[in-house]
Amino acid sequence: MYLHNNCIEPGCWNEAISTFNEQGEITETPGYCFEHHPEKEKITQDIYNYIRNHTKIVGLNASGITFENIDLTDKRFYGCFFQHCKFINLHSTGFRSRMSMFDFAIFSDCNLLQSNMQFTSFAGSTFSHTLFTGSDLIQDNFNGIQSYQSAFDDADLYNSRFVKAKLIDTSFRNCNIKKTVFMGIEQQNVSFKSSNTREAIYGETDSELFMGSTTVGEIQ
Amino acid sequence: MKIYFHLNLSGFSNCYIIVNENTKEALIIDPGKITPEIIEHIETDNYKLTGVLVTHNHESHTNGIKTLLKIYTPVIYAADSEIAGNGTVVLKGDGVISIAGLTIGYMSLPGHTPDSMVFKVGRILFTGDSISSGKIGSTSSNYSKNTLISNIKMKILSQQEDTVLMPGHGPPTTVGAEKLYNPVIAQDYVIPPIPLS
Repeated sequence: MYLHNNCIEPGCWNEAISTFNEQGEITETPGYCFEHHPEKEKITQDIYNYIRNHTKIVGLNASGITFENIDLTDKRFYGCFFQHCKFINLHSTGFRSRMSMFDFAIFSDCNLLQSNMQFTSFAGSTFSHTLFTGSDLIQDNFNGIQSYQSAFDDADLYNSRFVKAKLIDTSFRNCNIKKTVFMGIEQQNVSFKSSNTREAIYGETDSELFMGSTTVGEIQ
Repeated sequence: MKIYFHLNLSGFSNCYIIVNENTKEALIIDPGKITPEIIEHIETDNYKLTGVLVTHNHESHTNGIKTLLKIYTPVIYAADSEIAGNGTVVLKGDGVISIAGLTIGYMSLPGHTPDSMVFKVGRILFTGDSISSGKIGSTSSNYSKNTLISNIKMKILSQQEDTVLMPGHGPPTTVGAEKLYNPVIAQDYVIPPIPLS
């Protein structure tokens, strides 16, 4: 993961999205955030091209951009920022992500089958008709997500967190949910069939450590 | 600068390596266990390990220091002098240090332990066990818990909302997400409506 620059628009404290040199590679040159970028269409196209032409993508900041009808099959993202992005009709098999941030993003009609995403954050994101079937989603942050008609079936969700998530018509069938935290969730028609629910954490009583309790020892 | 993440399987703690590609120097945050992969990361690109930052004196965050000191000669930065004896640079209060050609901010944040520290590199905060996604660290008394919550609000939640939090355990998060979804502290903040257009 690279350190990112601030937007050069006076008074703006957002992070700048990635800029590219003549060879199409990411540079650390200061730039604008997407909101203040003077050439929104060009930078969007540059980022599309960069993703299309690279399999391993490191330190890309594409926050705020809308991705539509893009295929991320076998793409590998390391330390990338996609906060507040919109992903529409995205299709992939074997998508891979490490240390990437998808906070407050919107996923609509997306298939992320057999993905491998570890140490990745989707906090506050919205998933509508999105499939993570057969994925490894280990130690991921799904706190505060809103999920509608989506599926995490056959996924490994070890040590991931769904605190305060709103889950509607969402399935977690045949998942590994050991140490997965579902505290404070709002659920409607959610299925955990064939998942190891006894190993998951659904409330404060499941884990006194959770609220900084005064009655238990320290987390080591 | 690049940051690498390693999961310590024995204590399920997170260890981070930060490398400065310009000076070819590296530093490690919370070496819970030194694995061949961590050594490989340092050695493959010929980085010089110049510093070790410790967020607090718990075994799952410090166990690898002995191994590191057998191989390299890094300076250990921590708030507790017992971590590496005479070799420790003891940090107190809040301030800035320069290691591996990088400017690193540090903030004392007692609560989980008296020696808890948070390190800031750019817009990334390494929070140790003080706060992680959806939870705060465990404490030994109500007084400590209140101190921890107060310190988190004052020193962490006052940062920009897109500041990334890299915790000692569990997945990464951001200040904005914790304000909204951390049950212990979210009650003070209002969840804005999510646009669906």
